[in-house]
Amino acid sequence: MPSIGTRAQVMGAAFVALALFPLVANPYLLYVVNLGLIYVVLAVGLNLLLGFGGQFAFANAALFGIGAYATGLLQVRLQWPYLLAVAAGAVFTTGIGLLVALPALRLSGLYLAMATLAFAQFTQWVLLNWEKVTFGAGGFKIPPPRFDPLPLTSAQGIYYLSLLVAALLAVLAWNIVRSRVGRALVAIRDSELAAEALAIDLARYKTIAFVLSAFYAGIAGALYSATLNFVAPEGFDLFQMVVQFSMVVVGGLGSVWGSVLGAGLLLAMQEGLRAFKGAQEIAFGLLLMLCIIFLPEGLISFLKRHMPGWSEPLRRPDARSDAPPNAPR
Amino acid sequence: MLAYLLVSGLASGCLYALVAVGLVVVYKSTTVVNFAHGELFMIAGFFAYTLHVLLRVPYLLALLLAVLASFALGMLTERLAYRPLMHAPTISLVLAAVGFSFVLKGLARQLWGGQGDYIPFPPLLGSDPIIFGEIVLVPQQLVVVGGTVLCMLLFAAFFRWTRTGKTMQATAENAKAARLVGIRVERVYALTWGLGAAAAAAAAVLMAPLTFVYPDIGMSLLVKAFAAAVLGGFGSLPGAILGGLSVGVIEQLAGGYLHTSLMEISAFVIIMAVLIVRPTGFLGARGLRRV
Repeated sequence: MPSIGTRAQVMGAAFVALALFPLVANPYLLYVVNLGLIYVVLAVGLNLLLGFGGQFAFANAALFGIGAYATGLLQVRLQWPYLLAVAAGAVFTTGIGLLVALPALRLSGLYLAMATLAFAQFTQWVLLNWEKVTFGAGGFKIPPPRFDPLPLTSAQGIYYLSLLVAALLAVLAWNIVRSRVGRALVAIRDSELAAEALAIDLARYKTIAFVLSAFYAGIAGALYSATLNFVAPEGFDLFQMVVQFSMVVVGGLGSVWGSVLGAGLLLAMQEGLRAFKGAQEIAFGLLLMLCIIFLPEGLISFLKRHMPGWSEPLRRPDARSDAPPNAPR
Repeated sequence: MLAYLLVSGLASGCLYALVAVGLVVVYKSTTVVNFAHGELFMIAGFFAYTLHVLLRVPYLLALLLAVLASFALGMLTERLAYRPLMHAPTISLVLAAVGFSFVLKGLARQLWGGQGDYIPFPPLLGSDPIIFGEIVLVPQQLVVVGGTVLCMLLFAAFFRWTRTGKTMQATAENAKAARLVGIRVERVYALTWGLGAAAAAAAAVLMAPLTFVYPDIGMSLLVKAFAAAVLGGFGSLPGAILGGLSVGVIEQLAGGYLHTSLMEISAFVIIMAVLIVRPTGFLGARGLRRV
């Protein structure tokens, strides 16, 4: 397989290309790529919990919605400026995530899955029925945020903000997974018993993973609300969750860069199938199932295996060692 | 008021119990929660609808055929979403089941109706309410209670007196030892998944005249059944029945005394409350961890 460059080179080039993209793109393409960047944040965050921590939760779509609603409502109801609302929305979402996960994380993984599935339905119910605050089933419009001192339109401003956030959070995740926290999470995923025997505090690290993914989902929701200028409950249902699962699985469970790849691919698929709304559930469900059975390590496994410089060791490369980066460990 | 709420709570509780029993049977033998269980329930409702309403097959025969078809569908689920992943991490199993559930949901939408279509289903005994003092009952609720009790008795008899039932218990107890004494464990797994789906199907056909049939019913039912199983102590069959009845009653009481819209979320509240107060439920034993 011919080399396409090291991962750092490819990602750097992609970042530059995306930064220049608004100069040539039409509004629709800009919107789609912006959505892709938001999906990158979602997928990377979910992968920290699912792929690295091995914890199964259905909460991500609901937390994504809570982030979007919190940001939007703070702007519409309380006239907060956008950036402040984003920060507050993300913090609020993280707090809610913590409240839900804390009881469930102390028990077996099954309870987390089911408690969060019930939580996802509960969130939908609140968004639909608490009309005094959430505007109910019809959703509500949000004024497009302004980036005044900068010479940017609202769409361009959101795009650059999303790009910046996505890049920062992907790099942050990449550093987290190679830190003490990341190694602890992988140990828990591979065997809770062995991890406990190594003095890893299960509840603590599971909570860290869940809170991180809630934070990522909250930020993604905040960006999403501004990208659409509109939020409604049905955008955050369980189908949204299946799309997110598919992104993580198709890209590769337990690979930060796989999630970036998966988010892009699944977004393309979703846009391609937009005309066939009825087929989407079947297509994504089937894709998720087939990928789990036949390609459990995701598409990134091809790159990891055949490309020098694409392996993802769980530690920082040793500075003194002169072994090549993908030498067998 | 109270008596009425209790009675109708028990009637819907019977159904939750039946669905929860299907969930727990699969869990006991394979230690996996079938996340497609709700969709199997939903599809069974549509099977019965096709047979009874579209093809004019008599209700009881339609019930029987829908249960048989769901049994086959349950075995198919096992073949597609469980067997290839038997040795994979739990996450993979759950993801595959979730994927499969969306395939089923999407197919149901394509074949039978889209979002928001509630398809009516005629009851077995007419729809004139029966009145005992202050209790008003729809005849179908009596059918539901009777049908559930019958199903539970069949289940108990099956596990106690048939050879297949005993091999299932043995496999649930210890799969390795079961294999050593010559039980075909894979076949038992397939039968268990079929049995779980059949229980869900019986509940679906009994329930269809009360709630109508629609593609999105699956997930909310799965959550209710799980709440029932958790409340009873996950992994315990009598617990699942007790839990199902309790969930039904709690739901009705919350709906009647507090606010109707609370019925939809009482399952969530129950799950969280049980997790915080008593994670082992009514009858659950503290689980042993498999190393």
